[in-house]
Amino acid sequence: MTWDWSYALQTLPALLGGVLTTLVVTVLCAGIALLLGLALAVLFKLLPSGVGFVLRLPIELIKTLPALVILFFGFYGLPQVGITLPALPLGVIVLGTIYAAYCFEVYRGGFESIPQGMRDAAHALGLSRFTTWSRILVPMVVRASMPALLNYVLVLYRQSALLFAIGVPVILTAAQVVGYQYFRYLEPYTLAGVIYLVSNIPLAIFLRRYEKRNRNAHV
Amino acid sequence: MVAIGLGAVRASSRGPAVLSSIVVIELLRGAPVVIYLFWLFFALPAIPGAPQLPSALAAVLVLSFSQGAYGSEIIRAGLQAVHSGQRDASLALGLGPAVRFTRVVLPQALSQVVPAFGSLSVDIVKMTSIVSFIGVQDIFYAANTARSATGDTMASYLVLMLGYVVLCLIVAAFFRAIEYFLPVRRAQRAAHERRFPLRTKVMSTR
Repeated sequence: MTWDWSYALQTLPALLGGVLTTLVVTVLCAGIALLLGLALAVLFKLLPSGVGFVLRLPIELIKTLPALVILFFGFYGLPQVGITLPALPLGVIVLGTIYAAYCFEVYRGGFESIPQGMRDAAHALGLSRFTTWSRILVPMVVRASMPALLNYVLVLYRQSALLFAIGVPVILTAAQVVGYQYFRYLEPYTLAGVIYLVSNIPLAIFLRRYEKRNRNAHV
Repeated sequence: MVAIGLGAVRASSRGPAVLSSIVVIELLRGAPVVIYLFWLFFALPAIPGAPQLPSALAAVLVLSFSQGAYGSEIIRAGLQAVHSGQRDASLALGLGPAVRFTRVVLPQALSQVVPAFGSLSVDIVKMTSIVSFIGVQDIFYAANTARSATGDTMASYLVLMLGYVVLCLIVAAFFRAIEYFLPVRRAQRAAHERRFPLRTKVMSTR
């Protein structure tokens, strides 16, 4: 069997549909991961130091487990205790939560990097706790963590391929479905890989440019 | 099952030395690992003359190459982290290139590389869960078999999760042990001992 261009063209529309789903999933997951991660990091900083492990423990646990296992647990395990979610929301929640755990670490590092003087200065200016956090500390942390966070968004884009396991129609799922219809896997899988590679390039370039601009803004 | 995970870990530790070109690394990191796995296992045999790889071999190949790409970046960062003055100093001492690399640069780079490799290996252990898609009988595959045999999804997956946690802890502990015996760490401990002989004695009894 050799490469068949007309078949490859035939599979293309299905794959491009998968691209759309992948993008939607990535954006939703990234939203959850970035916001939840920030909320957890702020909460962690506000908690007294002895209680912090209550938050750290589940986060470490989530980071130790493979995403696929958590996905299967949610998709096949949870219905057993009466919680049934459709594949797409479930996948988004699971991936979003996992990457929230990674983003938590990034934000936490960001908080460590803020000099104590910043807080003292805010205190000396008579700013309230809420203003100090929302107008000074959080914006600083978000800006400092941006490159690492965007990198995780990129990883998320690639990781969303795992959602094919529970039937969310991402690029890989589309390739599998088309391949199964015609019993030809060479073209759809190759095209799927090429699509991932090609779409990764502009994202990576954007990220690097953003990083460079941000570094210049700091100086 | 465990051997597959460990095999992937070990292969990837060697992989980075070979994969140094940026293009190869970016290619390997650009698409999801699952894609490469499926391509190698399902699509490659369709090309005339290409062999149908056994699933375990395909899994180890894909995992070690893709994680090797990440590993090579770690090595690069570790080597770059060694202060350039160290290189200048060994040049001034008249050390040859081989001695310079093996006795000066590499030991210092390792103190950066080994912890990072520890977390990479934990990543690989987690990554192995995808190989059951092509029928490799890893622990994830075993859990799925148990699930369909007993019908108790919750229990099978909870045991599976416990298994992954234990595996990851073992790998992490292994790398922490290696870290302990690194030359730089040994030198640091020795320096500490010379400076605070009493305190170290207290620490060592602890």
